[in-house]
Amino acid sequence: MRPVFAFLLLALLCFASTKSESDSDFEEDNNDFAEFDDEFVGGSYYTEPAAKNAEASAGGLGSNDGDGKEERPEQPRKVAQSVDSDEEDGLVEDDDEFEHFQDEEEFEGYDGGDSKDPPIDQKTEPKLNIPNIPLHFRTHWDSYWMEMLMVAGLLAYFANFFAGKAKNAKLAQLWFSTHRALLDENFALVGDDGKAENENPGLIKESESLYTLWCSGRTCCEGMLVELKMIKRQDLVSLVAGLMRPQLDQAHIKIELTRGVMDAFVFAVGSKKTITKVFKEYTDLSKFCSLVGKPEDRYNVPNGFGVLSEIPEATSAILESRVITALNKYQSYIDYLHISDQFSGPIQQEESGTLKQPETKAVLLAGFNLPKHAEMETIKPLLLLIFYLMERLKTYRMSKEGKAKSDKNRQRVEEEFLKSTHAARAEAAAQRREDKRKQEKERILADEDPEKQRRWELKEQKRQAKRNAPKMKRLAVKSL
Amino acid sequence: MSITVDPRRKEKINRYKAPKLQGQGGGANEDMMPDYMNILGMIFSMCGLMMKLKWCAWFALYCSCISFASSRASDDAKQVLSSFMLSVSAVLMSYLQNPAAMTPPWAS
Repeated sequence: MRPVFAFLLLALLCFASTKSESDSDFEEDNNDFAEFDDEFVGGSYYTEPAAKNAEASAGGLGSNDGDGKEERPEQPRKVAQSVDSDEEDGLVEDDDEFEHFQDEEEFEGYDGGDSKDPPIDQKTEPKLNIPNIPLHFRTHWDSYWMEMLMVAGLLAYFANFFAGKAKNAKLAQLWFSTHRALLDENFALVGDDGKAENENPGLIKESESLYTLWCSGRTCCEGMLVELKMIKRQDLVSLVAGLMRPQLDQAHIKIELTRGVMDAFVFAVGSKKTITKVFKEYTDLSKFCSLVGKPEDRYNVPNGFGVLSEIPEATSAILESRVITALNKYQSYIDYLHISDQFSGPIQQEESGTLKQPETKAVLLAGFNLPKHAEMETIKPLLLLIFYLMERLKTYRMSKEGKAKSDKNRQRVEEEFLKSTHAARAEAAAQRREDKRKQEKERILADEDPEKQRRWELKEQKRQAKRNAPKMKRLAVKSL
Repeated sequence: MSITVDPRRKEKINRYKAPKLQGQGGGANEDMMPDYMNILGMIFSMCGLMMKLKWCAWFALYCSCISFASSRASDDAKQVLSSFMLSVSAVLMSYLQNPAAMTPPWAS
């Protein structure tokens, strides 16, 4: 057997050497493959023939030149030889694997296109294939213009924020410093932050566009709250909106009068626009007042002003010559004046739910527009007007008829309120009774004395019978 | 209009009490802008994060800026801060997921 083995080994070696020779020939002959590889890699380095030995079959796959076609039939022939000389399974498999290379139809129309490619000159620069790069890897800063716009907008917003904030603070401080002396003359306490120790007497910043000042310690009143409502200069969006609907810096003054200082009446005067607005919004104005027709003739108020009045004599007493002069002089600065002994804030939406009449206070409210060019001195007399009105309210007393009328009005409003809440109040009372009974029952049941329980049950039965009795009687009469 | 007698009364001093309800003093005049902007900012942030809409994330950032600018001093600063963080994270996340430039809505 040994010589046979030796012969077989020799035959195998011979075959291997001839195959490698033919393969290297095949590679050398077929220059186009090398070019193709170079082109595929995209670089200028040359693939070693040894590596190509292994890749020969792969190269065959990719090749599609006319030369390649000529060479291809040789390869399977050699494989067939090896099958003859050696019966290894792997090689037999190769036979099946590359069989389709013989098939002409397999590459139909495939080599036609590529054969038209111009022959590439190795000396010139190799042609580079640049695949499509996804859009976002291209760093063109120009394409980020929207983002730049957004960031610029944010920067502009913040720049405006700081500028607007500073301007509002400056205006508020200017108002305070202008009126400081007058306030000090009238109030024992000017500026309070509500803390145990008054840490920073002066204006309190509620927001960047709202400053408040609390003053107290004066005759006739419990306290005065000044709210400086500025244009929202810190908010660029509001500023832009303000271009379409112009707004003004405003000072709202709310004085809580001491109970009993003023007679009972409700009154308001102000620009027509504001008056119609507050007439709908505030409970006291909508319930007690009526809009006065032709107030210019009746009370001599300036044109463009409206008056809401409950008692005409009180209205004419308030709108006396000095006040009218002030109204005429500071027409553009006065937004509204509102005097009421029944002030309970704006109308509540869910009024049906409340069973108690809202708490009322005697107040003097005023709204002033601040001058546009920060000339705070021009509106200083308006604060004097407020103090004057307060003194006037203290001294003014209505006639008997007026008082009777105002009492009647208050009674009417109360009755209306009771009527509107009658059903709700009856329901609440029934609920309370039911709850009480339940509690009593629980208490009796918890008691261990059966005699007590029996007595309670008897009592309860009697009560039920009594409740049903009248109905029964009526039924009996009807049936007769 | 001159006042001859000194009107000041030390014994009548009342300390300032901040209104319990914002709606007490003038509910109608109360500024609801920061609240609306907060909610709007949250909605935009969510849209930006979930639907990967970059312009939504940017709008959320603007909304939180407006909310911050018009917030009251008594308001909770945490709320404004969380709204800011949410909108900033919406912008960051949308650009981390897809660094491509934003296309204007009319171009797409």
